[in-house]
Amino acid sequence: MSLLQEERNIILNNEHVDNFDFAEVEDFVKNASKDLFISYNFKTKNKMLVQPRGGFPTYDKMFALYDFFDKADVDVLPCTIDSNTRLNDYATAKKMLRLSEENEVDMLNGYPLVTHGYRTSRKMMTHFNKPISLRHGTPDARLLIETAIASGIFEIEGGPITYLLPYSKNFPLDKAFLYWKYVERVCAEYSKLNEPINRESFGPLTATLVPPCITIVIQLLEMLLSLEEGVKSFSVSFSQTGSMNQDIVMGAVIRKLARHYSEEIGVTDADIHLVYHQWMGAFPMDQNYASQLINMSTVIASMVGANKIITKTKQEASGIPTKEANAETVANTQYLLRILNGLPKLKDEQEEEILTAEVMAIMEAVFNDPADTLWRKVFNSIKNGTIDVPFSPHIINNNEMITVRDRNKNIRIIKRGKVPIPHRCFEYEKNQCDLNKDTTSIVNDIIHDIGIMQ
Amino acid sequence: MSKLENKLLIDVGSTYFKLCTKDNVQQHFRDFNKDIYDDLTYKCADIIKNYNKENIHICSSANGGLSTLIIGITNSFSLKYATNIAFNSGINIIDTVLFRDIEKTSIPSDLIDVVIVVGGIDSVSNIFDERLFKFLDGLNYSNIVYVGSEKDSAFLKENIQNLSILPNIINEKLHVEEENLKEYLTNLYQADIMGKEDIKHLYNITSNQIFSTPYIVNKTLPMIDSKFKVADPYILIDIGGATTDIHYSKDLVEENMVTENEYDRLVFKKLGVYKSKESLIFAAKNNEFVYELLAHLKVTENIFEESSEKATRILMQLAIFLVLCKVSAYRKAYVNLKLNALNSIVLTGGITKVLKQEEIEDIVTFFYKKILNSQHNPTIVMDNNYDVWTLGMLEK
Repeated sequence: MSLLQEERNIILNNEHVDNFDFAEVEDFVKNASKDLFISYNFKTKNKMLVQPRGGFPTYDKMFALYDFFDKADVDVLPCTIDSNTRLNDYATAKKMLRLSEENEVDMLNGYPLVTHGYRTSRKMMTHFNKPISLRHGTPDARLLIETAIASGIFEIEGGPITYLLPYSKNFPLDKAFLYWKYVERVCAEYSKLNEPINRESFGPLTATLVPPCITIVIQLLEMLLSLEEGVKSFSVSFSQTGSMNQDIVMGAVIRKLARHYSEEIGVTDADIHLVYHQWMGAFPMDQNYASQLINMSTVIASMVGANKIITKTKQEASGIPTKEANAETVANTQYLLRILNGLPKLKDEQEEEILTAEVMAIMEAVFNDPADTLWRKVFNSIKNGTIDVPFSPHIINNNEMITVRDRNKNIRIIKRGKVPIPHRCFEYEKNQCDLNKDTTSIVNDIIHDIGIMQ
Repeated sequence: MSKLENKLLIDVGSTYFKLCTKDNVQQHFRDFNKDIYDDLTYKCADIIKNYNKENIHICSSANGGLSTLIIGITNSFSLKYATNIAFNSGINIIDTVLFRDIEKTSIPSDLIDVVIVVGGIDSVSNIFDERLFKFLDGLNYSNIVYVGSEKDSAFLKENIQNLSILPNIINEKLHVEEENLKEYLTNLYQADIMGKEDIKHLYNITSNQIFSTPYIVNKTLPMIDSKFKVADPYILIDIGGATTDIHYSKDLVEENMVTENEYDRLVFKKLGVYKSKESLIFAAKNNEFVYELLAHLKVTENIFEESSEKATRILMQLAIFLVLCKVSAYRKAYVNLKLNALNSIVLTGGITKVLKQEEIEDIVTFFYKKILNSQHNPTIVMDNNYDVWTLGMLEK
């Protein structure tokens, strides 16, 4: 028995798992409808796939949500997991699920997949014959992804960096890398049976003035960590920055470099996709403005040439959106995509060259770390500040990089900390900003820039 | 085991010698009337003679390890960081003292091997005053090291004799900087060995540095899945004759700090089944669940008075129960571990030679049911060969 299988046996020998039958699950994946695999949808559907967010605690409410989405012509269904399950607190998730079922009140902010179990969940996940994407935020997702794949969920979002630095303060990053290695391996194993399981990285990070070079570096590194374990379908992603030009530049650079680095490690047979998140920062309370922002995001996604768009709702600023609001966004986004024809191809060569140089310099510094494995090189690079995510709450993050928007709303680096971007690129970034102000004014600018869409 | 080719690994414990070659692992009960070196070379001469000095690696806990007392400013930073570094360097902590309470703190009578004074980031000054010196005057210690704010170091140097000053373990971001203190404590351990005649003689058979056993065990943990069927997060409990060590995966605690280790260590100095038997019994009697446990094991408290094989087994089972209690929310020690998230418990030490797997499973199930009110059942892994330490020795 392989080490991985031994570990899987232990992980699934859990009081919250109802007798996990590996052979049956393998058989299910082998014979599952190809339509359930987003990797297959990417290949066969000649359009940008539309995926909302959403998750409710009870089976019935989740089913009703999916039914709404299905009627709104959704391409990909979401399965957003509740916070307790994300933190591996299955006992509380179980208690809260019972309360939700008995009182008609949602005591969880998502679907507790582990608690429902794969036998129950599979009925729902396969019913609509559409791909489902697992949205969680879990540093240790081993049990969760086993349950997800067994349930018929064949896209797994997240990664050791993107699900830790924005979400967690204390969880040890080295452990997260090892736990996600397990996730990659399990996804790679199942990918041999039918269409590939798709892995998607979470590009928005803190969604707070993250400069493009940092986003892209982290996307590329999570992609490489995934590919080196045998994953054959991977989505890099990023969210709307607030500058259309910067988004288009990011899209071009991330595509080009994803290809470049996957070839660098000798992987030429994996499909790489691009996912665009509608605005992930603070939303306007005014629902009309919110709708405008969502529409604008859809236009930019088209300009970027994304393979999938993940939608927001006009209720974003005021709590957990209803299924009606979610379905409305899906329908509107699909409509907008249908009428967006003849968009011009835009290219900003100077910005692309600068961003490419920044990303490649950071990647080179990561690869030059003396550690013997890629994950440890990346771990060391985060620990020593080579990779620095603005506004990350995690204790390992260096938090020395400072960013602000220039007059065209592009995110610019005005203090690089220990991030080794080339000097000329750094000078270019700073020169786009008005830094002749006093410190208080610059701080006020940063605060304003965080809430730019409100 | 190819790394073991031509190598001999020796662990000198408080009760046993363990010798590991590429062929097997042997254990020899120590003769406490003899010098360690004489005892070892008498019992194992035929093995030792086959190896060159540079191919013999020794770790030891037989010198009892070093003891420390830590004086700090806050529980959240200075004391927490220094405690963590001390534990992971294989040092036993006698006590921690909050400086603001120093006048109310009773001064330990034992000889302390090293006092650690810590507090403040480098931009802060005037942290310590006369109260510290007064406390130290009444304390019996061999070494003292200051790892706090740089601005106070000159003042402390003037007022404390033989004070070693190292860079601050708290940086300006309130993160831990462990390297210098760790190295100092490791060297101190080494010097302690050199000062203890019977351990010092072991350098007659090895030209390699002798490390502390807990330090070595901690090094083995990231590699443990190459030897046992375990899944992170797990804990390793080392129940020996004098102390019980618990090494735990860092994702089991809420309040982490960024250090080099994937695993941290806690030591319970007075929880052993041989040399610390009395204090183990004392701790047991003070635990409200122990009588239920004894009933569950079908014995009465009279077992504490007995000296039999059965009594030893019961004591070992109690030690497992007590150590789990001490790291659970039920009894707040230095850390609370999220025991519901545990996948595996690895047991090593003399205990693995005495207890059967099912006896340990029984205790663990009892603990989860009674204390945590849970059906959770982490897998129990026994280091039956008692050689988990060899993984770390080969890495050194």
